[in-house]
Amino acid sequence: MKPKLTFLLTLAICCGTLSAQETTGALEFQFGERAVVAPRFGTKVEVVPVLELVGAEVTYSQAAGAWGVVLGEHVLQFATGHKVLLVDGTLHEAGEAPVPSPGGVAASLPYVERFLLSPLGLRLEPIAGGYRIEHGARFADPVTIRPAVADFGTTTTLVLTLSRAAAVTAVEGPGGTVEVRFADAAPQLDTSAPFRSRRVRSITRHDAELSIQLASGIGLLSWRSLDDPPRLTLELGPARPTPVPAPVQTLPLGDSGPRPIVLDPGHGGDDVGARSRDGLVEKELTLALARRVARALEARGYRVRLTRDDDQTRALTDRTALANRLDALLFVSLHANASTAPSVTGAETYYMSLDGPSDAAAAATAELENRAGQTAGEPTALDLILWDLAQAEVLNESAELALAVQGRLNALAGTRDRGVRQAPFVVLTGATMPAVLVEFGFLSNPDEARRLAEPEHQQQVAEAIAAGIEDFVGR
Amino acid sequence: MHRRAALIALAAVAAIAVLVWLASSGGPRAPQPQAALTEQAPTPTPAPEQRIMLLFAGGDGLLHPELRSVPLPAEVDERIRVVLRELLAGPGAASRLAPVVPYAASLEAVFIDEQGNAFVDLSAPPEPLAGSSTELLLAYGVVDSIILNCPEVKAVQILFGGREVATLAGHLDLSRPLALNKRFIAGS
Repeated sequence: MKPKLTFLLTLAICCGTLSAQETTGALEFQFGERAVVAPRFGTKVEVVPVLELVGAEVTYSQAAGAWGVVLGEHVLQFATGHKVLLVDGTLHEAGEAPVPSPGGVAASLPYVERFLLSPLGLRLEPIAGGYRIEHGARFADPVTIRPAVADFGTTTTLVLTLSRAAAVTAVEGPGGTVEVRFADAAPQLDTSAPFRSRRVRSITRHDAELSIQLASGIGLLSWRSLDDPPRLTLELGPARPTPVPAPVQTLPLGDSGPRPIVLDPGHGGDDVGARSRDGLVEKELTLALARRVARALEARGYRVRLTRDDDQTRALTDRTALANRLDALLFVSLHANASTAPSVTGAETYYMSLDGPSDAAAAATAELENRAGQTAGEPTALDLILWDLAQAEVLNESAELALAVQGRLNALAGTRDRGVRQAPFVVLTGATMPAVLVEFGFLSNPDEARRLAEPEHQQQVAEAIAAGIEDFVGR
Repeated sequence: MHRRAALIALAAVAAIAVLVWLASSGGPRAPQPQAALTEQAPTPTPAPEQRIMLLFAGGDGLLHPELRSVPLPAEVDERIRVVLRELLAGPGAASRLAPVVPYAASLEAVFIDEQGNAFVDLSAPPEPLAGSSTELLLAYGVVDSIILNCPEVKAVQILFGGREVATLAGHLDLSRPLALNKRFIAGS
């Protein structure tokens, strides 16, 4: 059975009491001593009155075309016509989409309970003429699983990266399958990154389990649960006579430290980037600078991760994805610039541009949805919607971060201020945290390239970027 | 607009262009009927000259406008061709500006979808370009020059060598149409 169909059926079963209430007219919702009447809109119900009843702040972002719900520490973001939503920064597939309505937005009762109230720790209980909203979510927070597979000589490693820590076990199932069971979470499968493997045929979701269909003669050799990021690693290979292995190692789940700052040394490997007349290469300069920034930040007590720590080719989308997987505090991509005009000098800092024709974005969404999962390495519909929903939310913070970093760079002697700008850069697309791209100087200008080659100047630039980051974090 | 459909349409336009060229330049031709001497064959009305604004790269790393008077056809795809022909020819001889496309590029095809997205196919650069500044000025020099002179066009996607590219120099997202962006025009 397809995961989405399974999911919808699960919804229908779990919410059987809800469907009995689906009649025409308005529905009354009670919450504590208060009550509100929410109009029906077809088979759906107006969402805003229900959320405001429980004390949530509901806003609509024209720029992102998305609704935002804030209650306490919880932030939900969803958009009409989209079947995905962000729950506290994590993308979830809902299987259905809210629709525009006279009151702003309407959704089915299962959607309201499952995706809007459950994350707020609330559930619906049917009463005459409506529902009472009570504390205690009916559904555990879902966890999204992103699979990655690597075939080796006689074995295959399957890594299931989880969107959050969850109690999970793996056992061999019938018919050459491995079942991954979640004790306290509803798993959702991220299919935006397709994989190819000689030994893993498919991964499907059945309620609170993932079922991994293996090739003939292949079994589960071992598995382990790891943290940072939360993930399950399964070793697959020739089946053994004893089919149920014990876990090799189980590491404690949970936060292992403060959220890291992810630094991205631009380019790398085959992609050398810009090159100065004297042979200074951007990919080497960005790595050297990133290491200096990392040391400067670590000296200030921050935890830092680099998207690459040697001369390797990394896809732009993988860099942002790493920051998202690590739930990074910030994402800072470091670049050296080049212009066809050798006279151009200076530093500039970019953050994401969301502007563009809405019809073009919608068309791109539709087109991406059509080809989602077909080509590895290309953006998918989920990437685009993530960009729309998540980056819009952090856009103001990205602008503040850009201003803070640029302000410090401007204070460096001899560095021309080229300002803070917006552009739709690939490496910033889909970042769910404040994200900027720093162009710290022009290699095409001989004088500036010469300065950038000096270790003392590199250290000054690195200290300025680190100070700008600290200015933003401590604002 | 599905980009795949746009690429197919571009291929179709190119195929038709080849057929038209073959039909007009080679092979035996059927004898054409002679017009009577007293009748003048209608001559096409030349497109009226209009001022267009082209964007070129300045020494400050920003786009600068240059005005030029050229015959401008009514059809939007023909207008795009004229604008790009002039843009690719580079700034005037007395100008201190530089071309936004930093190699000898040619326009291979133009296609416009029903949403007003223009797809323009430029010949690919002979070697990788470097620098977000180079990439931004190329992209928005082309996109803004087209949209400023062809208001029917809502957005422009640049293809290179008949292919869509994710990015040209590792920064800007070129995988979908770009709207008018005046941030890189000096003084904006």
